[in-house]
Amino acid sequence: MEENFDPDLIHEIFKLVWSRRNKKVEGNQGIHLEGGAGTSKKTRATTVLLQIFMNTANASALKVSCELLRLFVAEAIQRAALIAEAEGIDIIEPTHLERVLPQLLLDF
Amino acid sequence: METLGDDGIGIGSGGESDKERQEEAEQEAALLRDRLRLSVISMASSHAKTLGMTISEPVVACIADLAFKQAEQMGRDVELFAQHAGRKSVNMEDVILSAHRNEHLMGLLRDFAQELKGKEPCTERKRTKKALKNENKVQEPIEMLD
Repeated sequence: MEENFDPDLIHEIFKLVWSRRNKKVEGNQGIHLEGGAGTSKKTRATTVLLQIFMNTANASALKVSCELLRLFVAEAIQRAALIAEAEGIDIIEPTHLERVLPQLLLDF
Repeated sequence: METLGDDGIGIGSGGESDKERQEEAEQEAALLRDRLRLSVISMASSHAKTLGMTISEPVVACIADLAFKQAEQMGRDVELFAQHAGRKSVNMEDVILSAHRNEHLMGLLRDFAQELKGKEPCTERKRTKKALKNENKVQEPIEMLD
């Protein structure tokens, strides 16, 4: 069976993304507190808290994310290989990847 | 001319400490990107070998960068879903939902998740899907939605 990504690595990437977002939210805090016309103070406070609070991820969620990323890499290679094979070449070149990229990104 | 893509990097509104933090974050990102690239390189070469093809270096680098961007996007999506559900921690279901663009992909992930949970697939269809899944990686690519 092929190897998979390291769940810890994926977790680190997620944490990076989440902390980036949290910093952004902190910067915009004044604006966020406005809320919609009907929002009560309590809802607004909860929304802000939820946004500021650092997210955590489940261990099994991390494993499924690893699987998803693995599928992404495998798909990319397989689709590019298909194109290369159709041309009769056995090295996967950037032009092959280019051809499959749009549909690949739409599918993922 | 400004485009939507410019948003990603510029965060704070200036100031010394903001810049420092930004640089730190970028360094961290670069480190993670390198680690990911190593994993992708080994995965890619073994997968290409299974297909009987060689893969050129720029292609691997490109796939590694794409994978990093996908991981970032996944993190954002998954955080939004969890927040939307009023939860503070991300669930398996959140991750599966983030693959909603391709039904087949979502099915594969659900099967994987079921296996993790240790449940026995009870219907014939699920069992067939599981058997297909193991072959699927090597032979067919994922179906594309029409």
